[in-house]
Amino acid sequence: MPNCLVCYKWTLDERDIKINPSDLSLDSSRAKGKISDFDRMAIEEATLIVEKHGGAVEALSYGTAAVKQSLKDTLSRGPGKAYWIADASAENADAVVTTNVLAAAIKKLGSYDLILCGEGSSDAFNQQTAPRIAALLGLPCLSFVNKLSITEDVVSVTRKLPDRTEEVSVRGPVVVSVLSEINKPRIPSLKQVLGAAKKPNQEIKIADLGLKPEDLQPKTVRRSVKGFVMQRKNVIYKETNLADNVAKLKESLAAEGLC
Amino acid sequence: MNFKLTEEQQLIQQSAREFAKEYLEPLVAKMDETREFPREVIKPLADHDFLGLHLSAESGGVEAGCVTYITVIEAISRSCGSVASIMNNHAMASYAIQRWGSEAVKKQCLPAMVKGEVLGAFAIYEHGPTPGIGPMAVVATKTDAGYVLKGAKAYVRNAGKAGVYVVTAVTEADRPKTAVAFVVDAQTAGVKVGERIATMGLRGCPVAHVVFDNVVVPQGALLGGRGTEIVNRTLALGALAEAAQTVGIGQAAIDHAAAYAKQRVQFGMPVFNFPAVQALLSDSNIDCHVARLALYHAAQLVDDGEPFEVESAMVKSFLARLGSKLLVDSCQVEGGMGFVENMPLPRLFRDIAGTTLLDAPADTPERAIAMSIA
Amino acid sequence: MIFTPEQLEIQKAAREFVAKHVIPQAAEYDRSGEFPSYLLGAAKESKVFAMAIPKKYGGLEYDSITQALVCEEWSYGCAGMGTTLGASMLGTDPLLVVGTPEQRKMYFAPIVDGGMAAFGLTEPGAGSDAGAVKTTAVRSGNEYILNGTKCFITNGGYASVYLIVASTDLSKGLKGLSAFIVEKGTPGFTVGTVEHKLGIRSSNTVELHFKDAHVPASNLVGAEGEGMKIAMLTLDMARPPVACAAVGIARRAIDECLKHLTERFTGNYPPPQTVQFKLAEMHAQVEAARQMAHHAMRLRDTTTSYSMESAISKLIGGDMVMSVTTQAVSLMGSYGYTSVIEKLMRDAKIMQIYEGTNQVQRLVIGRGLLTQAAKHMQKAV
Repeated sequence: MPNCLVCYKWTLDERDIKINPSDLSLDSSRAKGKISDFDRMAIEEATLIVEKHGGAVEALSYGTAAVKQSLKDTLSRGPGKAYWIADASAENADAVVTTNVLAAAIKKLGSYDLILCGEGSSDAFNQQTAPRIAALLGLPCLSFVNKLSITEDVVSVTRKLPDRTEEVSVRGPVVVSVLSEINKPRIPSLKQVLGAAKKPNQEIKIADLGLKPEDLQPKTVRRSVKGFVMQRKNVIYKETNLADNVAKLKESLAAEGLC
Repeated sequence: MNFKLTEEQQLIQQSAREFAKEYLEPLVAKMDETREFPREVIKPLADHDFLGLHLSAESGGVEAGCVTYITVIEAISRSCGSVASIMNNHAMASYAIQRWGSEAVKKQCLPAMVKGEVLGAFAIYEHGPTPGIGPMAVVATKTDAGYVLKGAKAYVRNAGKAGVYVVTAVTEADRPKTAVAFVVDAQTAGVKVGERIATMGLRGCPVAHVVFDNVVVPQGALLGGRGTEIVNRTLALGALAEAAQTVGIGQAAIDHAAAYAKQRVQFGMPVFNFPAVQALLSDSNIDCHVARLALYHAAQLVDDGEPFEVESAMVKSFLARLGSKLLVDSCQVEGGMGFVENMPLPRLFRDIAGTTLLDAPADTPERAIAMSIA
Repeated sequence: MIFTPEQLEIQKAAREFVAKHVIPQAAEYDRSGEFPSYLLGAAKESKVFAMAIPKKYGGLEYDSITQALVCEEWSYGCAGMGTTLGASMLGTDPLLVVGTPEQRKMYFAPIVDGGMAAFGLTEPGAGSDAGAVKTTAVRSGNEYILNGTKCFITNGGYASVYLIVASTDLSKGLKGLSAFIVEKGTPGFTVGTVEHKLGIRSSNTVELHFKDAHVPASNLVGAEGEGMKIAMLTLDMARPPVACAAVGIARRAIDECLKHLTERFTGNYPPPQTVQFKLAEMHAQVEAARQMAHHAMRLRDTTTSYSMESAISKLIGGDMVMSVTTQAVSLMGSYGYTSVIEKLMRDAKIMQIYEGTNQVQRLVIGRGLLTQAAKHMQKAV
């Protein structure tokens, strides 16, 4: 009956962000919010675990005032309760600040058997949230997880690393960050969406976390954010013979040094 | 005046869009080609609560309201007009049963309809001297046990797949004739579904004529309401649902055409850059946007319990004029590529022509609207 | 337009031919998308595919108005089969405009004999931008060697003769294009994929592939660099017949509505006023488009310069038939959606697209107007 907590980030949907072709600046004025992609998988994984083993799932997020928009979305996906910290400091927070805040909040909330995060966020993809929280809480950290199972108090995972796969087991509380391939989040049914309003949510004030001012000072400063436009070559091979097309493709790839 | 969807409606819209992408997009082209009924999506639709949107919680529904319903239909229609048609016709039948059916009939039909175990069809149109509705050709004769129905209905959507038909008829005994409606189990002896009729588009939604050949129905099958009220109100809601289909399909076409134009290079630049192309896209987008606003406004009136038939007629009339134009112009942006069947636009062109049809005597909406002025 | 007794005779014969050979089969070929090969056999005796060819080459040498009537009847029956005829005429037109007597004799012979022609201009990268043609024709001794791909070529899979526009000098852009007669069966010349379409489905639309296709130098029509000029003259000739086809489709749409209404409405139930008015508007539009089409057809026979009128006729005809057929489906409700009327709406769409999209027609008209206005200004000064 594991007690699970999922840390998630409310980001902007990058599909709504327009890139200004002249200076590559970003126009996010029409961008809607969304739960960071990998965090969705983390929420789904926690929900699946609790459906199988019993226990409870709660969710926690730190963000600007916009984070309040995330609550019903999150609660429609399985968690029984959502905690939220809305503070202006989130605007420029780096991984240090974010994890200071989250770890302090988790300490305040109590102990969890399993703390889940997405491997990286949709916008920054720093991949630092899980390791830092684990360090601050004195817990082991399992990252790059694409498969997870629980037996009693042992958490067993498969870690998918660039050059190999590891099978790792840990006893006791652990922080896990998951890859997107770990599961396919189910689409919330209408009853789940409508039921979200009935689930509790609780604000945690940053002032109540006992953090020092320097804990909220980012160590990295973002100088600028620009868009990236992939230039397409739009080459079409239309020989009658498929083999000719393949030969031409091979030729062109070789010319680019790609094969 | 609040033009925003509530948080729940936005999340439901998101779920509907994701559902459409995951379950409907993979089969939409094949379904259009083979005209096969998409049996495999009925259970997923039910599991995500899409088949009981306006039904009571008692029946297993979601009581979501009209704005939520059309939000879902528009989102589904962006990917698949056929499934939206199946849902709409099912919804009209289930709505009529919930609103006017006896407790027994509701208990018998609605939970199964919510679960997708039984699909509904609303059988109202007829062949005859006047196009569309009335004077009714299906006659209901009172008997000791109930009624006997005799006659034929035309172009019934979901025919052959429906487990239950809501059928309008006229009672013989009364002078002047009274319009009534019945819930008829598809398995009842004498219910004869004709050959499947080939439609221009919306090919996954079956259409056929249905004959009621001395069909015996119990007293409890009679819907408790004036036939004209049942017809008018259900059709007014159906019109909003069809308008949502039209807007969804139209927007899908505009988006596809814009994306195509951005990558199609002629005269040294993407054709999207030509003012004439931008004008086509812009005019289409304006029409779609205006229609959507009028549609959601009418739906809000329904949810507020206010009269909405005139607003529904206005939306229907507006889109009858402009629905197909959205597709004509989107296809035009794509030129020859908007005419070949391995691209989506031809299917959208054929689908949208079917969501804006006037099956009533042609001046019905205009008449209702004009009567409401001054 | 008042017709001569001869023209009326020919119109009547065309109407009978269409009633016998086109209308009964149209729905089936629309469903399958198969090419109606039987039609060529049926049409051979009447020589209708050679109706524009001068008598001295064995053709019927019909005047343009007569041709207009025939085109309208064929597309009244089925726009797909009407396009088969129309595209063969498009393919024939270049040699009516230019060409030596020997070339004409060689080109017209198979058409007079019952075969078809095809016009090969469009390429994947050269649609509205026809000048962007990339198929090359390289002179080699007393031959040209052709390499490249054409697409959306009507009749491509069944024609006996083709007029292909290729570049003899890529560096010159559209001034480097030249026109060639290519015969079916030329080694290196193959027919590619068949396109399945929204409408005119029985019409054959294919890719053409040229891979080192050797063509005699004597097959060059006109001079090198005249290809675009020839193509434009050809399209000027071919656009009014498209307008005639559009009129045929639209007239059919109205007739089908009337037929359905008279079946449904008997005695005491005349159609509501809105229906009558909508039909009246549709009919007025068809009539206006027909007059413009016939005017442009007359100019074909009497003037050398009629690009504007040709474009106007095609613009008006194309937009008109799209509007009329859409209206017909909507007016006839579920019947419209499930009967021949829906085919008419699908067929109509192409009339706004091929032989120059209606945007290109507006370009031609717009440029013509500005040129005229500039001339007036110069005169005034």
